Amino acid sequence: MIEIKNVSKIYDGNIVALQDINLRFKEGELIILKGVSGSGKSTILSLIAGLSKPTLGEITVDKKKISKLPDHFAASYRRDNIGIVFQKYNLIPTLSVTENVLLPLFPLNLPRELMKEKSSNVLQKFSIEHKANVIVKNLSGGEQQRVAIARANINDPKIILADEPTANLDEKLSLEFIEILRELKSKKRTIIIATHDPLFFDLDIVDRTVSIEHGKLL
Amino acid sequence: MSYFKIIVLLFVTVFSLYAYPHYSDTLKEKKIYPLGQKIYQQKCSQINVLQYKNFQQLQQAIDQQEGCKNLQKRYKEALALYLWEKKRANTPQKQYPPLRVSKHEKCPICGMFLYKYPRWVSMIEYENGTKLYFDGLKDLFKYYFEHSKGIKELLAQEYYTQKTISARDAYFVIGSDVYGPMGNELIAFKDKQSAQNFLLDHRGKKIVRFSDITKEMVYKLDE
Amino acid sequence: MNKINFYLLEYAYAYIKRNKNKNIFIVTVFTLLVALLSSVFFITTTVEHEMKERISYKPDIVVQAYKAGMQSSVDSALLDKLLEINGISSGHLRVEGTYDFRAKNRLFYLYGVAPFEDQEDPFIEQILQNEALNSSQMLVSDSVKESMHQAYYDKYFNFIKPDGSLQKVFIKKSFPVHKRIELQNLILLDQDTLRKIFGYSENEGSDIALSVANKNELDFITSKIRLMLPNAKVVSKNDLNVMYEKLFDYDSGVFLSLFVIAIFTFFIIIYDKANGLSSEEKREIGILKAIGWRVEDVLHAKFYEAAIISFFSFFTGLLIAFIYVFIFKAPLLGEIFMHNTLLDIHTFNLDFYLELSYTLLIFLLSVPVYIAATLIPSWRVATLDADEVMR
Repeated sequence: MIEIKNVSKIYDGNIVALQDINLRFKEGELIILKGVSGSGKSTILSLIAGLSKPTLGEITVDKKKISKLPDHFAASYRRDNIGIVFQKYNLIPTLSVTENVLLPLFPLNLPRELMKEKSSNVLQKFSIEHKANVIVKNLSGGEQQRVAIARANINDPKIILADEPTANLDEKLSLEFIEILRELKSKKRTIIIATHDPLFFDLDIVDRTVSIEHGKLL
Repeated sequence: MSYFKIIVLLFVTVFSLYAYPHYSDTLKEKKIYPLGQKIYQQKCSQINVLQYKNFQQLQQAIDQQEGCKNLQKRYKEALALYLWEKKRANTPQKQYPPLRVSKHEKCPICGMFLYKYPRWVSMIEYENGTKLYFDGLKDLFKYYFEHSKGIKELLAQEYYTQKTISARDAYFVIGSDVYGPMGNELIAFKDKQSAQNFLLDHRGKKIVRFSDITKEMVYKLDE
Repeated sequence: MNKINFYLLEYAYAYIKRNKNKNIFIVTVFTLLVALLSSVFFITTTVEHEMKERISYKPDIVVQAYKAGMQSSVDSALLDKLLEINGISSGHLRVEGTYDFRAKNRLFYLYGVAPFEDQEDPFIEQILQNEALNSSQMLVSDSVKESMHQAYYDKYFNFIKPDGSLQKVFIKKSFPVHKRIELQNLILLDQDTLRKIFGYSENEGSDIALSVANKNELDFITSKIRLMLPNAKVVSKNDLNVMYEKLFDYDSGVFLSLFVIAIFTFFIIIYDKANGLSSEEKREIGILKAIGWRVEDVLHAKFYEAAIISFFSFFTGLLIAFIYVFIFKAPLLGEIFMHNTLLDIHTFNLDFYLELSYTLLIFLLSVPVYIAATLIPSWRVATLDADEVMR
């Protein structure tokens, strides 16, 4: 489903982030990208999301060449197919939970009822609906994580990318997150997690672990 | 002193008391008649000027009339002159209403909006009631030479007084340094004297009457 | 962008609230700037407008005789001579002037009315229509009446003639001047009585007022009279307009410098804003892009943000200027228009009068500039690769 072919990424002309990467992910797989920070795993995620383009090589998602998409279409592709869970959640602190969750849909100018339905669905799914109207900055870390995941799922994306999702969570909350992953996997989502948290390494739901070091696969 | 002398003296006194005053025509038009008319309307409208055989009689009547007998001498004089020369003569001069145009009216020759140049508006009225307005006499004549049938009135504005006059009776000055919205113009005057004054003041070339104006002359103004 | 996207509008509003301090500062500066510039333009255009209106009530041409460099009386024979000029439709000898009422330190403006005479000024014409004056009566403005009353003159007033004797004139009635504040010192009385007060002989007057039917001819006739009467002062309506226009040009010059400074300040702030988004702002744009916003969606929201701030500031500024100028009558700033005898801001009504072109100018110089200054840096950031949020 996702194919990364001979991809290299060089920043600012001389910083080599990725070097000749070849990877292939099947639909419904849960893959861990393992490596220390700065090894290039986040770069792979942003390339798959279409947030940046590879210097060399080609990325295909569902037979679409993401690496060739113009910015405009890359954004639409991202909105419809990709949900991203960031390390720092990247929520808008002064907006309410509902508003944060709906943020990806704001430009579409959908009718209010539809928006409401979508948000209550997704909030229910990630059991945060009791905080629907709370301003995000008043939430605990675990709750913010749920909101971030809810936002990533607002469009029922096929692919979920998570960047160090447990870095700011204690063990209890991390285990909760893994439960959420289990549920998402059962729904045939393709999940790619970039992490160096050992918690993930021998998890039963993990299909494959890919190790990266200095921009190269091991 | 002989009786003869006394009679002569009496005659002279009476005559000088009711002597006929002399003023220039312009002064009468601009100052005395309007003043006299106002006094007549406000104070002495009961006087019927046709009753009196001569000017002295009129003056005497004014002296006796309630309302105007207490007026100052110059007011009485203005009143008397107005009544004697204007009211009595009552020359039925044709009065034309001012030429007014709406905001949408355009000149049929040049297509310009007319309300911007109200001083230059002139008009042709046809027998069938059609009224056409022009921004200057030059354009009016251009139109006139093409469509000269069935015309009722040709109206222009007198340059100095801005009153509406018939173009057929007017005197026109051409070649002056006064330009209309369409450049060189024919400037209209009601009498020869003002046309001549204008010609001198504004370096005009020539004074023409309506019947003298030819098509070539009009088109030559554009050169 | 043909339909307002309320979600983005809400987002923009939330964004402004989030950066409260910075935006309050911008709104304050922006509002004050618009208020200052609008006040200036409100004052100049209104005063100029009122001035033009006043000039329109004046005679087309005024001829004054001068003797030894001082204004002296004119003889009525001169009027007859001037009336002979083609293009002058009518004229009259006026008797008018100021009278120094020293007891109350006040200048009255005395205007002699001849019977059966038309007045150029519709206001005076209207007063005279209702009240006929005899030779021992006068009509005074309410404020003149008040001054006389303070000196215990309630029924009549004693004018002191040049020879020191008194001329007693009865107050027939007083009239309110309403909007014509420049006429608040006006006293209307019979022309011959006024001649006595000023010490003129029967055929003398203070000046000659002429009307010209064809305004195109006005300047020509004026210069013709100047040639005819080399010692006289001939002032046409056009001359007055030119004179006041020059005066306003001068004042506008003072304002122009103010304008330049204000605009300059504004542009410095704008430049500062345009030249960099904080890392937080950049990050937020990155997040929005990462969750699927297109560049134009980001700009759409930013446009709303800038529009809310600039429209709010613009209209608040306009409102402040409006209240300051038209309700409080421009204290302080209006003093720039003081020119002792020529112009006194306090004798102007400052009634609401708006020249849209200036308001539009201020609008165009502020609102689109601010919007552009918000959009351009955001656009720059938004078109960069957004993968920074991932790092």
